[in-house]
Amino acid sequence: MIEANGLSKVYGARAVVDGVTFSVGKGEILGFLGPNGAGKTTTMRILTGFVPPTRGTARVAGFDVLRDPIEVKRRIGYLPEHPPLYREMLVRPYLNFVATIRGVPRRDIKSRVDRAIERCGLGQVAGRLIGLLSKGYQQRVGLAQAILHEPEVLILDEPTVGLDPSQIRDIRALIKGFAGDHTVILSTHILAEVTMTCTRVLIINEGRIAAQDSLEALAARGEKTRRIALRLARPTDAVEPRLRGLPGVLAVTRDPGGDGAWLVESDGARDVREEIAALAVGQGWGLLEMRPLTLSLEEIFIRIIRGEAA
Amino acid sequence: MRNTLAIAWREVRTYFTSPLAYVVIGVFLLISGYIFWASLVRFSQLCLSYGNNPYYMNLLNVNDMVIRPLFGTMGIFLLLMIPAVSMRVLAEERKSGTAELLFTCPLTTAQVVLGKFLGAAFLLLAMIGGTMTFPAIILSKANPDLKPTLVGYLGILLMGLAFLGIGVLISAMTENQIVAAVGAFGAFLMFMVINWAAEAVSSVTLSGLFNKLSLGLWEKAGLGLGGPSLGDLLNQISITEHSKDFYKGVLDTRHIVYYLSVIFMSLFLTQRVIESQKWR
Ligand SMILES: Nc1ncnc2c1ncn2[C@@H]1O[C@H](COP(=O)(O)OP(=O)(O)OP(=O)(O)O)[C@@H](O)[C@H]1O
Ligand SMILES: [Mg+2]
Repeated sequence: MIEANGLSKVYGARAVVDGVTFSVGKGEILGFLGPNGAGKTTTMRILTGFVPPTRGTARVAGFDVLRDPIEVKRRIGYLPEHPPLYREMLVRPYLNFVATIRGVPRRDIKSRVDRAIERCGLGQVAGRLIGLLSKGYQQRVGLAQAILHEPEVLILDEPTVGLDPSQIRDIRALIKGFAGDHTVILSTHILAEVTMTCTRVLIINEGRIAAQDSLEALAARGEKTRRIALRLARPTDAVEPRLRGLPGVLAVTRDPGGDGAWLVESDGARDVREEIAALAVGQGWGLLEMRPLTLSLEEIFIRIIRGEAA
Repeated sequence: MRNTLAIAWREVRTYFTSPLAYVVIGVFLLISGYIFWASLVRFSQLCLSYGNNPYYMNLLNVNDMVIRPLFGTMGIFLLLMIPAVSMRVLAEERKSGTAELLFTCPLTTAQVVLGKFLGAAFLLLAMIGGTMTFPAIILSKANPDLKPTLVGYLGILLMGLAFLGIGVLISAMTENQIVAAVGAFGAFLMFMVINWAAEAVSSVTLSGLFNKLSLGLWEKAGLGLGGPSLGDLLNQISITEHSKDFYKGVLDTRHIVYYLSVIFMSLFLTQRVIESQKWR
């Protein structure tokens, strides 16, 4: 649905986006992650045809953003980083206006606007002045304007900024519901949001793609070695050498904090939990707890951004 | 077309939901009304003093003494007030981020520019249309020749639209509304006074100028040194030169063509400027 090929954007002498290549299939939700100034917004602006790329090509639904901008724009719903609102307009007339210039047929405008108002929870404020709405409501109006023409591709730049928790949940559900027949790209700083909504993640750093994977694969990256936390009721001196003797175990350390707590590191390709359990039971160490330690998404993210091999 | 009108209509609504439209129209009507009243009073006093002298009475003409000065002053007020309207036309969209909406919708840049221009043109029409009550007052009491009034209005309208076009072009070049207003004001003034030097340079011919620029190649190529002078060119560019005839009630297609080309050129350049900005 979306194909970006070697996209670059140079401002002055600085490449803000530098050779970004990715593709998004129909029905996918791609999450853009990256620190401030990484180039997420710029990449999205290229895809929506707002700024042309310096190098590279981007295609949306088979149309090139430079050669067929109108065809691309017909198929896109876009929520920019700063919601594009006319502060002096009322909510409903504003949405009517956007529907018109998005090319919604005249007879469908009312029903589409009604639906967008309902989906974004704007019923109560539909007759209010946009400039006087709270930040969260303005964000919702921005979101409503992006979805009201039921676009094939939805591009959302930090869609849940400024929303309250219950609205965030509703909006995430809305985005997920959208993904069935539509394609969504969203950028965010909230890592949990990626876990909850996205099928795939693209981590951008300093204009380049630092990682591009499904969530499971990304999580597995942190696991070239597996780490297992153990807690034993009656540890003996033999614990350390015996554990180390198990095939696949790389290191065993006694957790200095906990009483009878141990940390076992093993080869990522091998699950040694069963052997450990059998050994502990056989030796009568009194196995109280055994739990795999996984890296959190935050840790993986920070490692990737710093360029550490996770 | 539907898109262009939607943008124009949204623009008009914005003018009339903010104080802008009321202030601009109100001030314009107030001051031109005052000028109209003053010249009408003077005219009626002259009529009273000289009314019994048939020679002077023939010289007194309501079109010359009331209507024509009204158009002259309206032209000056447009020069002062249009920057206040044109400064925000594109600069505001850029500043509020709504440009990102317009330029990611399936619209061409030309549609956006034309829509914005038409919206502002509607406000101009309301400003000028309001002053039509003044000649109507005369019409209710007397029976003057109407043609100069109608032609004069056409001239004022065309001049206003030309100013607006130039103002929109300057508004496209900057995000700063003050810069857009001052720039537009400067450009209008330049268009008005550019013929002041016409007299001084009337002996310099254009072909002579090209000849100097091309280090004599022009003459060698046998292109000749006669033809129009630089002074003629300045007169042709000047808005003042093109507005005079309208106020006298003389309808000349050359002037209409002039205004229409200024409007077209400035909107065309606006479209080019916006397109080129994307590439920065
Ligand atoms: N019009 C512009 N001219 C010059 N530099 C720009 C322009 N737009 C963006 N930049 C620069 O490009 C870089 C990337 O900006 P971008 O907005 O794409 O980052 P981002 O990933 O969206 O960051 P954030 O998480 O803060 O939103 C920034 O360093 C920014 O200063
Ligand atoms: Mg951003």
